[in-house]
Amino acid sequence: MSAAESLPEETKPLRLSGSQPFTQQPGVFIMIGERTNVAGSPKFARLIKEGKYEEAVSVARQQIENGANVLDICMDEGMIDGVAAMTRYLQLLASEPEVAKAPFMVDSSKWEVIEAGLKCLQGKGIVNSISLKEGERKFRENAAKVLKYGAAAVVMAFDEQGQAATYDEKIRICERAYRILVDEVGFLPEDIIFDPNILTVATGMEEHNNYALDFINATRWIKANLPHAKVSGGVSNISFSFRGNNKVREAMHSAFLYHAIAAGMDMGIVNAGMLEVYEEIEPELKVLVEDVLLNRRPDATERLVEHGEALKAAGAGDVVTSEKKTEEWRNGTVEERLSYALVKGIDTHIDTDTEEARAKLGRPLLVIEGPLMAGMSVVGDLFGAGKMFLPQVVKSARVMKKAVAYLTPFMEIEKAEMEAAGLVVKAQGKIVLATVKGDVHDIGKNIVGVVLACNNYEVIDMGVMVPAEKILERARTENADMIGLSGLITPSLDEMVHVAKEMERQGFKLPLLIGGATTSRAHTAVKIAPFYSEPVVHVLDASRAVPVTTSLLSDDGKAEFVAKHRADYEALRKAHSAPRQKLVPIEEARARRTPIAWRIEDLPAPAFTGIRVLDNFPLATLREYIDWSPLFHTWGLKGVYPRILEHEGHGAQARQIFTEANALLDTIIEKNLIAARGVYGLFPANSVGDDVELYTDETRAKTLERFHFLRQQANREGREPCRSLADFIAPQETGLPDHIGAFAVTSGIGLKELCDRFRAENDDYNAIMAEALADRLAEAFAECLHKRVRNEWGYGCAENLSPAELIQEKYRGIRPAPGYPACPDHTEKGQLWRLLDVQENTGMLLTESFAMWPGSSVSGLYFAHPESRYFSLGKIGHDQVADYQERKGMSVTEVERWLGPNLNYDPAA
Amino acid sequence: MTRAYQHPLAKILESRIAIIDGAMGTTIRTYGMKETDIRGERFKNSTKDLLNNGDLFSLTQPKLIGDIHRRFLEAGADIIETNTFGATSITQSEFFVEDPREQGGRKDPEFYQKVIENSSLNNLAWEINEQSAQQCREWADRVGSATGRQRFVAGSIGPLTVSLSNSPDADDAGFRVVTFDQVRTAYEHQVRALIAGGVDLLLVETIFDSLNAKAALVAIREVFDEDGLAASHKELPVMISAAVGRGGETLISAQTTEAFWNAVRHVKPLSVGLNCSLGPDLMYPFLSELSEKADVAISCYPNAGLPNPLSETGFNLGPADMARFLGDFASGGLINIAGGCCGNTPEHIAAIAKALEGRPPRKLERNEVAA
Repeated sequence: MSAAESLPEETKPLRLSGSQPFTQQPGVFIMIGERTNVAGSPKFARLIKEGKYEEAVSVARQQIENGANVLDICMDEGMIDGVAAMTRYLQLLASEPEVAKAPFMVDSSKWEVIEAGLKCLQGKGIVNSISLKEGERKFRENAAKVLKYGAAAVVMAFDEQGQAATYDEKIRICERAYRILVDEVGFLPEDIIFDPNILTVATGMEEHNNYALDFINATRWIKANLPHAKVSGGVSNISFSFRGNNKVREAMHSAFLYHAIAAGMDMGIVNAGMLEVYEEIEPELKVLVEDVLLNRRPDATERLVEHGEALKAAGAGDVVTSEKKTEEWRNGTVEERLSYALVKGIDTHIDTDTEEARAKLGRPLLVIEGPLMAGMSVVGDLFGAGKMFLPQVVKSARVMKKAVAYLTPFMEIEKAEMEAAGLVVKAQGKIVLATVKGDVHDIGKNIVGVVLACNNYEVIDMGVMVPAEKILERARTENADMIGLSGLITPSLDEMVHVAKEMERQGFKLPLLIGGATTSRAHTAVKIAPFYSEPVVHVLDASRAVPVTTSLLSDDGKAEFVAKHRADYEALRKAHSAPRQKLVPIEEARARRTPIAWRIEDLPAPAFTGIRVLDNFPLATLREYIDWSPLFHTWGLKGVYPRILEHEGHGAQARQIFTEANALLDTIIEKNLIAARGVYGLFPANSVGDDVELYTDETRAKTLERFHFLRQQANREGREPCRSLADFIAPQETGLPDHIGAFAVTSGIGLKELCDRFRAENDDYNAIMAEALADRLAEAFAECLHKRVRNEWGYGCAENLSPAELIQEKYRGIRPAPGYPACPDHTEKGQLWRLLDVQENTGMLLTESFAMWPGSSVSGLYFAHPESRYFSLGKIGHDQVADYQERKGMSVTEVERWLGPNLNYDPAA
Repeated sequence: MTRAYQHPLAKILESRIAIIDGAMGTTIRTYGMKETDIRGERFKNSTKDLLNNGDLFSLTQPKLIGDIHRRFLEAGADIIETNTFGATSITQSEFFVEDPREQGGRKDPEFYQKVIENSSLNNLAWEINEQSAQQCREWADRVGSATGRQRFVAGSIGPLTVSLSNSPDADDAGFRVVTFDQVRTAYEHQVRALIAGGVDLLLVETIFDSLNAKAALVAIREVFDEDGLAASHKELPVMISAAVGRGGETLISAQTTEAFWNAVRHVKPLSVGLNCSLGPDLMYPFLSELSEKADVAISCYPNAGLPNPLSETGFNLGPADMARFLGDFASGGLINIAGGCCGNTPEHIAAIAKALEGRPPRKLERNEVAA
């Protein structure tokens, strides 16, 4: 719609709401969808009469998709029970999140239907309509009721004498109604929406010829004289005499709106998907239509009728502007489409898509456990992030239900076939849900119940305040697969513990699920799970219920899920039971630094200082330094190379992997498929407090770079030193010339291209193998370079270590990396990158989170002192964080963010 | 319609941030009450556990509840809430009527029709509301005159245990366990009893379903009209407070903040705001939105963070934390009324009151009728 100056600056906009706010924007016409009106849409009327409410809901959704801002809902038809139909339809729309966003217009000539509608609106809607038809008393009464429910109202230009047809009648009645509403009832003037009656023109009756102009002029008067009031109208009335000739009707609607909006019309009841753009009306038709609307010539009607007949004869009369936008999401893969449908809650194509997925994957269960579950997991993520709300989760589950319903007959067939073949068939999962004794909170648990039921679980909801013995008895008689407990208040937690103990005592073997606002993972792990031998799993919210139950009931996935679950909860218990450590103050910790007697003979001078770049380092050399054990871990095989090759259980598999890895490595080396690059440097350095200063040259006058280290503060018995990496570099005050080294290496150059090639050939195995090999080569590179550096530093020349001994790090010195236990702050890589100009020299990048790119990369610092050793920083206190923050020039919050796991306190507290 | 008369609390809200009290339920728990304590003689034969039906303490342990009211008042609360969060026939039915689901039945409008017509539930609800209001009145007036500072009693109208927006039936998204009229009827009864007991204000709170809240607001309007309060200008100021999730949406019906305000604005409440929820740390943007859109006082009394059964107080945030968060809201010029919900003890309220002392309230536009 074209903008018009219908809303002067000071005019208050109409404000409405569904689940989302709607505020009228200056110059933007509000479209009120008319297809959900039994009088306006025969299709909708039929659906309601036949009780096909679900399909009727999709009519509402289409209107919203086609741009309707407000939905007009009308059930006024002789054969329909208006109150019941209005209530049921609006309650269904409330469960349709995409539709429920919008405000609704409750449309009826019967007050009881209007009131029934108002009782279903959580937002601010519009009543259509009230009028002075039955006198002032009734008008006041109804207006007060509208106000009580907090809706805006359409006020028809109608009074005791009847409908206002002429300009004078229209403005007289509207003014009278306005004064009563504003002065007596207390209506907000912007909540008054006048409908000054759009009446049919071109009827052949001369007195009807000015109807369009009367409306337009009355609109202009209302906007000028009744502050903040709005104007609306039922647009299709205007063209009623051209029934069956959509081409003419659409042109009339567009042209009429064009002029009425210019006069200040704010909104109109329209078919949102069926409006021609004014500028695109065929010029000849436009002139004829405007002649009629603006009453420009006496023969206007005849001329338009004639032209209309001609159009109809030419077949143009039936042209219906496409009601639907092309739906772009339909172009995705079937997995993408299913995920989209679940996230958006669209069930229109769910059968088709589900069938396509079934055909693709072969078995119905694979569709559920695959793409459908994946879609639901997206829903869970979005909900967890506050990007989806509960009703949308429920709607997604309902779409899921449709997909499952489609698959059910196929699963039945499969089941019958399996039974016939004598195989054991797993029944549908069954879960007993209850809010525990003492707690009456129900709603959240009900939502979990709906979501599970939609995912093909049989849900037995025992309600609220259910004692343990009743829950367990029911679970037993029903032969349930799982029990789910809910509670909102804190005392319920103890009751849940009680249920868990009872389950243990009575020898139950079912998993127990825990949910509700006061429950938490930590509480479940620490306080409930220890009392019951079977899995006790906390379910964060309704969106997470299905992944948990599916895993617990899956033949293949259960063991893995339970193992991981147990490990996680064990870790939580450990974290919880670990008392907050007693830390030594940072000053005391510094006094307890690693005791080192500094001697010049422990500080060999390196052969060079400065930077060296290693381009295309020979992979064949690196091969000698590979530590193979982690490669097997990549493939899920535990053990140490070379013993793993002879492993009783998986030795054969390990040998095969080893052979194939080496074959691929041969090819990589032979064809130079990936390249190794590195840079390293050695620099004069001394420690200053817990920092290490690097100098530009041996005069040690100018600082080149500075690394900041952290110090252990745990008060370990036996007065163990409180170590810091800074301890391993001679302090400045010793006056001794010490050095530090730094390196960054990668063997990931070209890796992505290689893996992409494998994947394009659907060879995921070799893609993963190539990545694993590159990782091994990067580590080997670090090892190999370390060897070279020790030699260049002098102290390594006398080493005579086998590769195995190298891997066991039996040499002197260490190469800790920022982000690892001794110096967990990843941001220290920033200095390293600067120092060695890593990006320029190797192409390796640091991401925003200080991760290295490409993946197969290693960086770190070299410490040469014989006393230097690896350690783990452990927990640190407020005092050190404050000190460190100052040294680094970083905010406390930022330091706390990077060092979260090392804090001995809760930064949020 | 402008009120010629300005409520004394409305005057206070223009000059300083008023303090509303903390949690009743979680504070009761610190007294270590047992099932026999809440039952007393009167409910000794009740079949279901009553310990978590905290509203009953106003009948069976009035001294305990009086002590909590006193402590909150002494901590600096200008407004104390009645102990009536669940004092409706509908919520009380959960503790006194057998749940049909235990026998494979279901809760539906037929079930709740019997509930709202159940005279013993209605009498009980009336009694709790009236007595709790009287007890609050007594303490508010006593501490008020002792300190020379007027205190106010807000009749607490909770969200119920049922939702008008949500269907618990997997096969029928249009199903509701209860009807609007049933909810409205239960609320009307509560509102009348609160007024009879002498409350100053009506507080529709912890709104997780806006349609439930609308039924309460319609109930209030009808009581005002039918009982002649409107005609005699004795309408009580109404306060409205929602419980919101991560996106600022009412937790069950998922209505966002501005949409919610549009839906309740016609009530011309004394205040609108947020309480309960996920604690104060996520509230800032939504309070800020509400503060920008609404032309009435803004209230905020969040939970002391999320329930954390592993922490000493059972909640994540201590008095100092709450004081800091509400202090932030005050610095942002967002609030006129501040306090706490679940997990906030008198110590929390004292800390909040201290932190907000002398801080300017959010500016209120007095003249809301445009020229």
